[in-house]
Amino acid sequence: MEPTLENHGKQTGNPMTFKTVLNHPMFKKTAFLTAAAGCVLLPHIMTDTYYLGIINYMILYVILCMGLNLILGYAGLLSLGHAAFYGLGGYTTAILITRYGFGFLSCLILSGVIALVFGILLGLPTRKVRGDYFCLLTIAFGEIFRLVAQAWIGFTNGAMGIVGIPIPTILGWSIRTEVDFYYLGLILLGFTWLTLSLLVHSKFGRAFIAIREDELAASVMGINTAVYKIIVFGIGCFYAGLAGSYLAVYQTTVTPSNFRLEESCLMIIMVIVGGMGSLLAPIAGVIIMTLATEYFRGIAEYRMLIIGVIMVAVLLFRPQGIFGTSAFKG
Amino acid sequence: MFFDVLLIGIMVGAIYTLVTIGYSMVYSILKLMNFAHGDVYIFGTFICYTLLSKYQLNPVLAILTAAVLGGILASFVEIVAYRRLRAGQHRMISMITALGAAYVIQNSNELKWGNQVMAFPSILSAKTFQVFGLAVPMTQIIILGIAVGLIILFTLFLKYHPYGKAILCVSEDIPTASLMGIPINRTITMVYFIGGMLGVVGGILYSTSYNAVSLAMGFRGTIIAFTAAVIGGIGSLGGALIGGMFLGICENFIGVYVSSSYRDPITFLLLIIILLVKPTGIMGAVEQTKV
Repeated sequence: MEPTLENHGKQTGNPMTFKTVLNHPMFKKTAFLTAAAGCVLLPHIMTDTYYLGIINYMILYVILCMGLNLILGYAGLLSLGHAAFYGLGGYTTAILITRYGFGFLSCLILSGVIALVFGILLGLPTRKVRGDYFCLLTIAFGEIFRLVAQAWIGFTNGAMGIVGIPIPTILGWSIRTEVDFYYLGLILLGFTWLTLSLLVHSKFGRAFIAIREDELAASVMGINTAVYKIIVFGIGCFYAGLAGSYLAVYQTTVTPSNFRLEESCLMIIMVIVGGMGSLLAPIAGVIIMTLATEYFRGIAEYRMLIIGVIMVAVLLFRPQGIFGTSAFKG
Repeated sequence: MFFDVLLIGIMVGAIYTLVTIGYSMVYSILKLMNFAHGDVYIFGTFICYTLLSKYQLNPVLAILTAAVLGGILASFVEIVAYRRLRAGQHRMISMITALGAAYVIQNSNELKWGNQVMAFPSILSAKTFQVFGLAVPMTQIIILGIAVGLIILFTLFLKYHPYGKAILCVSEDIPTASLMGIPINRTITMVYFIGGMLGVVGGILYSTSYNAVSLAMGFRGTIIAFTAAVIGGIGSLGGALIGGMFLGICENFIGVYVSSSYRDPITFLLLIIILLVKPTGIMGAVEQTKV
């Protein structure tokens, strides 16, 4: 075997270790194709609508967490207001569909764009307000959103929320059953994953990873750290808007209690359990946390207790999450 | 009307100051947002509620027991969830364990006491007396007295007692304080203990003045402590006082003169504006980034 940069110039006798198999392009390609085929065929294997419903919620959270992971794991900003952007998307879709007769596709796009605009607006202060203060800012924004949605009865229908969101139709495909929603979710998830991986592996992505690793060094290298952070924050929020739109049509209702601070916390936990700073790692977090909450549904009153314990335990013993890179250092 | 609102505002402000002190001290030492602070104080308030309504304990004794138990819980959380992460890990990590700890305490409170609003027994006399033609309820004066007394006591403790001086040293510079022979871990645990105690007293005073206690007050307390600490400038006692008073008075005026359902959103908006205009708070010093 040739001494390369990867094996630090050492001659390895047996190159077929478990790790090299895992990293082999052939294996990666096969694994990806198998997973993709499995995803597409899943509703035909698992026909139980209850389990499919759980999977649909998982897809929803994966989209949310991938966006949040961009903010948390790649840009290193702790946002506890992610539920507000999710809510912005949800309310945008709900109001436009029920009152103004918009089509679902345009609602979906508008929801994402509105979340993006608000994300950029909230991201603007990162130039001045940093670290913990920024976290506080996101909490305040999240609470303002929820409280206004609760108090502005004329526009958002208050605590009752907006009900009776009709069946969405995309280009003649009307989405009614759990299976339809599964495929809609899968398309959105595919879009999220594809755009995010293009982004992360571009010049832009390398720049904000550099900022996360060492902000000062990155700025010395000529990266405009402030602008990058604002844009990354906005993009992360865009996906939350998409997820909110999906939630609105899937649940057929949106209420302020869908977008409480607890939701933001849950998303943070999912990202952390899975692992920050790795594109697909949040999936593991989402699966673990969703299954844990489903499994403990029988003892629902202990749910938050168990989530809290998982959160503390994971961070104490494996701070980088299960599959993550070490996103926060020093 | 105006003076009534102002008086209630000052009383609420004094209570908020008590809740904020512990929170702000922790922040100035560890740069850690203690999300569990509000849940600890509501735990103490619930304990006091049980002692008063179930066992008819002497109010002073009940408050003391509740405060000590709250303090113990706060330091327990510190030892279990934060201490291990202090060295080596990013601060963000311990902030998230703080959230986890908050969930655990909140859920345990809910299991024991439920999430309904309960009537908190009024432990102070309901008499009113006349000052310059204004009817001033006795309760408010006593609450204000207790709060201000505790704030002064704590200030004196920090200034003159050796343990208080140790706290100030540690908040200045942990490695240097450690080299001077100050037991870091014990001092930090003590800060949590005192902060938890003051928070519990604040929570009890709040509950007795509104005759209500509920689980939701815990999270609100955390946010209030955040906001007040930031408005005044985190880490300073004077800052906690200014922030707490400002928030208490503003909140009551907004609630009465603007709209009670928009009270909290406007308070949060105020926080955002202050963060944008002066990110380190009214009393806060400018933090320098090291190059």
